[in-house]
Amino acid sequence: MREIGRFFSGFASRNGLPVAIYLLVAVSIWIFVLVVLPQLTMFDFSFRHNLPPPKIGGPEDVHTLEQYRYFLMGNEITGGGVNTLDIAVLFKTLVAAVFVTIIDLVICYPVAYLLAQSSQGSTKRLLVLALIVPFWVNEILRAFAFRILFGSTGVINGVGMQLGLWDAPIDFIGENVALYAGLAYAYILLMIFPLYNAIESLDRNQIEAARDMGASWAQVHRRVVIPYAKPGIASGSTMVFMLTAGALAAPQILGGPSSLWFTQIIYQWFNSGGNWPRGSAYAVILLAICIMFVLLVMRVFKVSIGEIGR
Amino acid sequence: MSNLKAFPTGGLYLLLFFLYLFGPLVVMVVTAFNSSSFPRISPWECLTSDWFFKLFADETLIAGLGNSLIIGIGVVLVAVPVGLAAAIVLSQVGPHLRSVMYAVFIAPILMPGVVIGLSTLIFWDRLGTFFGAAYDSFFYNGMFLTIAGQVTFISAYSMLVFLSRLQRFDPTLTEAALDMGASQTQAFVKVLLPFMTPAILSASVLAFLASMENYNTTVFTIVAESTFTTVLAQKVRYGLDPSISAVAVIIVGVTLVGAIIFENYNRFRTHKEARAAASAIVPPIARFATNPLVIIGFVLVCVIGFVAWVGTNDSSVCEANIEQMKREYQQEQLEQQRNRTTAPASEPAAPASPPANGGGGVFAPGNLAPAQPEQEEAPASPFGNVFAPENLQGGN
Amino acid sequence: MTKDITLDHVSVSFGDYTAVDDAHLTIAGGEFFSFLGPSGCGKTTLLRCISGFQEPSWGEVRIGGKNMAGIGPNKRPTALIFQNLALFPLMSVADNIAFPLEVRGTDRKTRRKRADELLDLIALPGQGDKKVSELSGGQKQRVAIARALAVEPDILLLDEPLSALDLKLRQHMRRELRAIQQQVGLTFIYITHDQGEALTMSDRVAVMSRGRIEQVADPRTVYDQPASGFVASFVGENNALPGKVLENSEGRLVVDIGLSAPVAVAAGPGRGRKLKPGEECHVFVRPESVSIDGSGQTNRFDATVMREEFEGQVRHLVVKSGETELRVTQVGAGNGASGPGASVTISFAPELAVPLPVGHLASA
Repeated sequence: MREIGRFFSGFASRNGLPVAIYLLVAVSIWIFVLVVLPQLTMFDFSFRHNLPPPKIGGPEDVHTLEQYRYFLMGNEITGGGVNTLDIAVLFKTLVAAVFVTIIDLVICYPVAYLLAQSSQGSTKRLLVLALIVPFWVNEILRAFAFRILFGSTGVINGVGMQLGLWDAPIDFIGENVALYAGLAYAYILLMIFPLYNAIESLDRNQIEAARDMGASWAQVHRRVVIPYAKPGIASGSTMVFMLTAGALAAPQILGGPSSLWFTQIIYQWFNSGGNWPRGSAYAVILLAICIMFVLLVMRVFKVSIGEIGR
Repeated sequence: MSNLKAFPTGGLYLLLFFLYLFGPLVVMVVTAFNSSSFPRISPWECLTSDWFFKLFADETLIAGLGNSLIIGIGVVLVAVPVGLAAAIVLSQVGPHLRSVMYAVFIAPILMPGVVIGLSTLIFWDRLGTFFGAAYDSFFYNGMFLTIAGQVTFISAYSMLVFLSRLQRFDPTLTEAALDMGASQTQAFVKVLLPFMTPAILSASVLAFLASMENYNTTVFTIVAESTFTTVLAQKVRYGLDPSISAVAVIIVGVTLVGAIIFENYNRFRTHKEARAAASAIVPPIARFATNPLVIIGFVLVCVIGFVAWVGTNDSSVCEANIEQMKREYQQEQLEQQRNRTTAPASEPAAPASPPANGGGGVFAPGNLAPAQPEQEEAPASPFGNVFAPENLQGGN
Repeated sequence: MTKDITLDHVSVSFGDYTAVDDAHLTIAGGEFFSFLGPSGCGKTTLLRCISGFQEPSWGEVRIGGKNMAGIGPNKRPTALIFQNLALFPLMSVADNIAFPLEVRGTDRKTRRKRADELLDLIALPGQGDKKVSELSGGQKQRVAIARALAVEPDILLLDEPLSALDLKLRQHMRRELRAIQQQVGLTFIYITHDQGEALTMSDRVAVMSRGRIEQVADPRTVYDQPASGFVASFVGENNALPGKVLENSEGRLVVDIGLSAPVAVAAGPGRGRKLKPGEECHVFVRPESVSIDGSGQTNRFDATVMREEFEGQVRHLVVKSGETELRVTQVGAGNGASGPGASVTISFAPELAVPLPVGHLASA
């Protein structure tokens, strides 16, 4: 307590009282009221029964593992055992997120490299502009664009059939191709910029020196560029994975009947399912996975949290 | 561009990449002008601007847009001062505390938007219950909740903007102000804030745009109301038609025009001397074409022209013709069918049976419905029926 | 009215590192007082203690007899001119100068008037509306001074203000600053590593090294009668001749400095009076005190000229006698007879040789 007092008076003497009050009030309200408390409430809520409003705070409102148990084991009604549906959905979401992250990494790395190594001043600004403009368009509209492209009466099917490449319309949506293409597309910006920034600061001489010593291009990339770009790779991959795992609009719009995203299940629990505690539990599970992923990436790539925040 | 020369494949790859990047946008923009009721490029029916009118007549969308604007302004008013405070606090604490605080401040960006949305919803709901508040109080108000939820992570974005600006601030300026007799508050207001003004502007723009386009968090916190993005998402899922493409055209247009004007305005302001120097060498036509003011003027003229076209375009004649063609085609099909069904040993299903997945069917102009009975009624009221099945089959 | 400043056993430590070690002196009101020393000697820290940006770890800073502990820079009767000037880049020249008045709530008209007065004082009339970036280095200097004067301080603190200027401008500004100080009657506390500045402008100089104040005296005394080896070697050029004391009687020392014979050195208060026979010491002889034309009577030695550096007004020679090298400075071009390789007879008067106990010297 004394520490806090001393902390505050240090601020007050440095900034003057009015400014110090503004600083600490603003930051405190943000962190406590908007970040920490809601998370704690959600966490607590996930351990409660789904009670109608009158019963909240009453004797039945106790802590329980019911919701988490449901995630793992499902309803007694639907035949005990493991809740294969929800667990499978979670698993597929994560695998898909990893898959999309890798696709984005593979697509964006050459672009980031080519752009970073070869352009000067004004072309660079133009390219940055060119990269940014598609992303000023709403994510809903981006998903919509892919809907138009991949629908069975869509452009790709139209062109393919007219060119005689295939006879019957391919159900891209049912096959989840549309979803993956759309998700990969959505977060390209977040993968390219960290990569671009990291590669751009690499001294060209190192590459030339490596070439001079006889390294092939594959070796140059593997031994010189990629290690150097590690923070960028970590940063980009983290952002893409988290946003893909947590995506809602794209799966809603582009998802076929066989693809259900974990976030959609959470959404359902809050809407048609009417079970907020259960939704919270699922959200906690999602959050825990995201945190674990960030920590894993930080450990594997040996980067700090500061380097991940763009 | 030496690397590109060494790699013609590099150039090709870049080309494909930008195709992937811009392709969907181009397609989307083009479909806004096709009068067919499902957004498509081929078959092309009529060049029309009707979808723009339909757009402006869509009340839920306009209402949603209004809400989005209000929320956007609310978010800016809260997130920008909070972000500034966070950046200043970070710059004044010691290194260990600083890295811990930074991790805490950045965390909201890394959290999934849905988690932020629903945690905000739950928190205020519980708080409201705790205080026994009425249902129309702010605890349950969608606009308030959305502002709260968005501010949670948008403050972090604005903090990042302020941090980079703050790093370039010379602290001896504050010391000098103090030495001159200013109180700390005066030093803050008269020296630090003016320096931060450009960052305040960019943070405000960033916050506003981030708020306008947010979906994941908003969809939980908006409760009974709607924003532009939630209405748009609803339309895409349940009422798909090219008016959405029209939205895209407007947004892409505004972005492009804004970017071009901004870029050229900057160029105009900063390169006066460079242009004067270069004027001797470059031929007058090229100089004229690349003069920033000329480009801005050209772009504005295009915009005005487009708006005028939208206002005056009348594609009803073309559409009536298409109508006619479809009806005639349907008649033909009907005839053929009748001829076939009179020969008993023929398959009951029409040759134009749809593919197994129940999708929209064939791309002959005028999507024929897979269900035969509806076709029988076609001669009776061609107008409504010809279009209705399309609407059902148009999406997936 | 001008006030005096007292440093009462002021020390400043940062963790294990002592920046200022027991500074104890009084600066009289109206003085032009300089702190002179190499980088890292603690003079900037001391300045920040006086101006209020740094609290001493021990001791007291008193201004006008009043203890300044806990009083912030905005409340002290001091104005600081920063090394990087710290002019507000977003404000015009006049707004910069009038800033102290603005924060006191003075109305716009009075502020403008005062700014114009000060602009006249610093010889930049009518330049008030210019942006700071449009000024030259010397002009920015003067604006910083004007802004500090607008505070109407009793004490003006200057942190190496001329280090960024070229030679001619520096020399000009030295005279200007001295003139302004005498005109306005303020106390000036000036810190610098350039001893030419300190000697020309100051009433008194405090020479500092490694956090300690080695000597406080007027420029003449500091130069002629340095209190320590550091002062002797830092202020001006000096020959530091290590030697052993052979005799010490009746105000005269006989020291063996490795020349063909021991030298006679005059001793006195603060100059070697306490040195005992057998003790090691340094004998300091200024280059200009050594004559090479053979006219001196005492301490005569044969020497050979090793090198000659021609610097316009003066000529520097390095002569070697035995194993000892000495620097000699002569005014004028000299005659060819004493160029490199020439044999000369050097001599210096005992009164002009300063004996001091062995201590650390200024690094070359």
